[in-house]
Amino acid sequence: MMENAWIIPLFPLLSFLILLLFGKRLKEASAYVGILLTLASLVYSILVLIERLDAPNYVTKADWLTIGDIHLTAGFEVNQLNALMLFIVSLVSFLVHTYSKGYMHGDERFPVFYAYLGLFTFAMLGLVISPNLLQTYVFWELVGLGSFLLIGFYYYKEEAKAAAKKAFIMTRIGDVGLFIGMILLFWQTKSFEYSEIFKAVEAGSISQTMITLTAILIFVGAVGKSGQFPLHTWLPDAMEGPTPVSALIHAATMVAAGVYLVAALFPLFNASETALMTVAVVGGFTAIFAASIGLVQTDIKRVLAYSTVSQLGYMMLALGSAGYVAGVFHLMTHAFFKALLFLAAGSVIHAVHTQDIEEMGGLWKKLRLTGPLFLIGTLAISGVPLLSGFFSKDEILAAAWEGGHPILFLLALIAAFFTAFYMFRLFFMVFTGNPRGNQEHVHESPTSMTFPMIVLGVLAIIGGYVNTPWFGSFLGDWLTEGNEALAHEAEGPVWIMILATVVSLLGIYLSWLIYGKRSISRNWLSGKGDKMHTILLNKYYVDEFYELTIIKLTKGISYLAQFIDVYIVEGLVKGVTGFVQGLGMSGSKLQSGQVQTYGAVAFIGLAVLVVIFALTGGYL
Amino acid sequence: MGLSSVLSMLVFSPLVGIVVLLFMPKSQEKLIKTVGFLFTLPALILSLAAYFHYQAGKDLNDFSVSVPWIQFGNLQDEHNLFSVYYELGLNGFSMLLVVLVAVVATLAAIASIYIKKEWKGFFMLFLLLETGMLGVFTAQNLILFFVFFEVTLIPTFFLVGKWGYFEKEKAAYSFLIYNGLGSAILLIVIMILFSKTGTTNIDALYQTINSPNGPLSSDLKMGLFIGFLLAFGVKLPIVPLHTWMLRVHVNAPIPTVMIHSGILLKIGAYGLIRFGMGLFPDQFDTLAVLLAILGVVNLLFGAYLAFIQTDFKMVLAYSSVSHMGIVLIGLAAMNTAGVQGAIFQVVSHGLISALLFFLVGALYERTETSMIGNLGGMAKGMPIIAGFLLLGAVASLGLPGMSGFVSEFMAFLGLFKAMPVIAAIGTLGIIMTAAYLLRSVLGMTFGKAHRDFAGTLDLKGVEYVPVLILTALIVLIGVYPSVLSTPLHSTLETIMLGLGG
Amino acid sequence: MSSVPASAFLALALILFCIGLYGALTKRNTVIVLISIELMLNAVNINLVTFSKYGVEPSITGQIFTLFAIAVAAAEAAVGLAILFSLYRNKRTVNIDKMDSMKH
Repeated sequence: MMENAWIIPLFPLLSFLILLLFGKRLKEASAYVGILLTLASLVYSILVLIERLDAPNYVTKADWLTIGDIHLTAGFEVNQLNALMLFIVSLVSFLVHTYSKGYMHGDERFPVFYAYLGLFTFAMLGLVISPNLLQTYVFWELVGLGSFLLIGFYYYKEEAKAAAKKAFIMTRIGDVGLFIGMILLFWQTKSFEYSEIFKAVEAGSISQTMITLTAILIFVGAVGKSGQFPLHTWLPDAMEGPTPVSALIHAATMVAAGVYLVAALFPLFNASETALMTVAVVGGFTAIFAASIGLVQTDIKRVLAYSTVSQLGYMMLALGSAGYVAGVFHLMTHAFFKALLFLAAGSVIHAVHTQDIEEMGGLWKKLRLTGPLFLIGTLAISGVPLLSGFFSKDEILAAAWEGGHPILFLLALIAAFFTAFYMFRLFFMVFTGNPRGNQEHVHESPTSMTFPMIVLGVLAIIGGYVNTPWFGSFLGDWLTEGNEALAHEAEGPVWIMILATVVSLLGIYLSWLIYGKRSISRNWLSGKGDKMHTILLNKYYVDEFYELTIIKLTKGISYLAQFIDVYIVEGLVKGVTGFVQGLGMSGSKLQSGQVQTYGAVAFIGLAVLVVIFALTGGYL
Repeated sequence: MGLSSVLSMLVFSPLVGIVVLLFMPKSQEKLIKTVGFLFTLPALILSLAAYFHYQAGKDLNDFSVSVPWIQFGNLQDEHNLFSVYYELGLNGFSMLLVVLVAVVATLAAIASIYIKKEWKGFFMLFLLLETGMLGVFTAQNLILFFVFFEVTLIPTFFLVGKWGYFEKEKAAYSFLIYNGLGSAILLIVIMILFSKTGTTNIDALYQTINSPNGPLSSDLKMGLFIGFLLAFGVKLPIVPLHTWMLRVHVNAPIPTVMIHSGILLKIGAYGLIRFGMGLFPDQFDTLAVLLAILGVVNLLFGAYLAFIQTDFKMVLAYSSVSHMGIVLIGLAAMNTAGVQGAIFQVVSHGLISALLFFLVGALYERTETSMIGNLGGMAKGMPIIAGFLLLGAVASLGLPGMSGFVSEFMAFLGLFKAMPVIAAIGTLGIIMTAAYLLRSVLGMTFGKAHRDFAGTLDLKGVEYVPVLILTALIVLIGVYPSVLSTPLHSTLETIMLGLGG
Repeated sequence: MSSVPASAFLALALILFCIGLYGALTKRNTVIVLISIELMLNAVNINLVTFSKYGVEPSITGQIFTLFAIAVAAAEAAVGLAILFSLYRNKRTVNIDKMDSMKH
């Protein structure tokens, strides 16, 4: 099985190619092509995962490009992290393929949508089995392309166009960091292979400054992809894409690629205190920063988007605090419950045709399946005990505490409180109370949409039990097997677990008081901190800040360059041509048309030549 | 022996087309276009044959031909006898470029469906231009190189000046003046080399110049190298010698601009690599930092200017300036990765810009505009053109899986080894490239439709041929770069030997 | 036989040539310019004949050449006069200053 793992990404690629060529003829039957081929990937991934449980890692490679005596290779690798990621990606992708059949029903470009989904899934699966940095970068960019195409799927909307462009360019800023880091690392180790890099790091053949520098540069790439501060602004805007896309790309898989990258290169980061610290601080800050914005947003998908940014920050914080297992664990559980939340949100949007939560309310009775599933997701993300999010979040808090960053620990704790609050705010606003909008035609979604939600709902509940303090840390043991450097005693003190539970329950309770029971006025808080509320509503004006600084600066440089081009370069040319022209003009004055003058000049010239000849004997 | 006539056939086969066209009635549009197209095919077939001949493990020297051509000077005295041979030959690098010429010329001949008048004259000049380009890359001595170089200038002048758009005459004249000056410098350099060394054969020159007691002083060598740099810098073009090229890109007819940005600009790169780097490695080394800075300036200057253009043709023109910066960057790195990246960029940009310009031509044919503002939302009416336009854009901005990435990656890989700081500044260009291409392409294709595109036809029939072939080649190089790197191997080894490491 | 020295012939030729040159460059009347040109030609003819007699290797070639020159000069004079005629018919003048159409 494992030696044929390369075939897993090829199924979706095949789907992409088939739909590109025959999509027009297949129409909505395209869905079956996509679903079946991703199902094949999923089955294969499960088989690989099961086999990897006790078989050793498998790596294979072949020459891809030769530069003189440098041989760059391409290949694939199955290790614990890759096998797990293969499973998560192909699972979510398969479910989203199924879900989209109902959600995108009736869309004019239905086959194109499935083709793009196939392209993205191919790239994402290719990314997670890459054995070297270069190949990772290749697929890293390709997932960006898939994301870009799908965000811009409704190409005729100006917002979608702007969002797609923003997503591509902002992630590209991060990618350049990765690009530089990768190349610098290459000249240190003469290889892009992960294993070679780790060997070099371990042997100490790379200077400490270089390790820190490259690790931080690579982290910049992760920041871009995972929507970490300060490159986070594209991710909420990316919600312009169809909702299944948000579930697949901007919640479960692609945005987690940044976390995956840091995890995959963990030995490199681990070798530099500064790099780890950077990761932790950026992650911790992003977690609370995005969570605070999420408190006041009114677009259902944007709330979820900020929650994603915040949760990704959590994972970074875990990795930065050397909690390798905690980070990867949360990556997995988050994929389940966040995909669930997005799909459920999509189901709500599908029913009420709006994304504004102010126009929803009282949907619990009408959406008998979506409601409870959404609740499961909300409970899981809030860290309510016994659901998956509880275990992974607890693990992260423990890691942050153990890592010796009390301030970051505190930030994470507050972020957890915020998360519980705004997620339940969302839940209460959407599902309880009286309907605030037109809800005449509200109906539950078709089976193709509810089935994936149910699967994810189950996983959101039980997904956490692979790694618990009570039933054994199976996932952690397995992930760190064979590489003890990653191992990390995550047995945090019991009080952390209790504290985390209390904090999240407090958040839920407060949210219930305001939005559920309404015993506290909604304006209670926003009235108190009026300015703060405006700032939060405007997302700390980060976009405006960029608009004023970076974009203005770029445009300024552009106009300066144009000035140089038009006035200085062209002016120089004009000067030269003007000079030549003037010379010609003055020369042409000598041409009088009088043959006698010409003759005189010719004769004088001849005479001068003869004199010179006579004086010098013919040689100068 | 049998193979030695192949190159002559390859180079002069388009001339046969000119003779055939002479006997055609002027008004037979279809016939003339078909014949013109058909006479680009022999060169294509022969060049592909040469490629596969090489890939089959045989020697490219089989194709070499050398016949005495001109002799002058003192016929009795061997040392003062100047003789010029008619020498054609191929190495891995020039073979790739010959294939590129043949492919782009054939596709440009297909793109000539958009030519509206005087087809006969157009195709006669077009075929002459093809002969010139093929000759430039196969010539084995500088005199022959120069002759073919000039042969490319004249037809281009007429093709731009007669069949172009808007300010065609102005564009044609600025083309002629800049390139005329460039070739004047080239001629002077060649003549000095010839008179000092008595040969113009490239290999022989290399031996003579770089032997320890060579006939050239190091100052003279530097002067000659700067001469080459100027001559080919105009062609490449290096900022600030680029303004002529903008006008040509905007005003030339589509087939010409495909050839121009696809091939003619590459003569500059070819000359810099083959003669600049090949003949004067030490001088190249001395000026490497300057070249790297020039490369980064090209890259950023072009990118920033492309960011604010309103005409998509201007965006592409500045994008060519920017992409040629990558060639300079790669060369300035002076290591295998960099030089290989530069050569990849030469081929890759040839394909990508040919694709993009063809699409612009197809668009212009339908909408009579190439202004970004006027085209907003055209994906609605022409989804296939829009799709390929987007594909061309992402290929151009260096998306992995397509040829642009491989070249950009290698060029930067090389430069980061040699001059990390300059390289780091250069990476800003990667971001800017994405920004300006997406801004312009999305501005044209996405968003609200600015006008009613109903009734405009999408890509059809024969128009698919160039688009699909170019796309296939771009992806092929991106996915399996060995198609280029294998033939380059020995050429690069020779160059690296010259660079001393 | 007392002989006239070669230098005398050459001096004559020189004087003739100078007169011709002066006339060709300064006279306003086109007919006089044409006559001056004939003078210059004949000065050259004298030179040729002189050297055919007094040259380092005296031979008949110089004289034959002179005959050719005279024949050609006659033909040329005919053509020149014809051009002059037609110019006069067009411009109604033989003043050379007015004949500047080469400028334009």
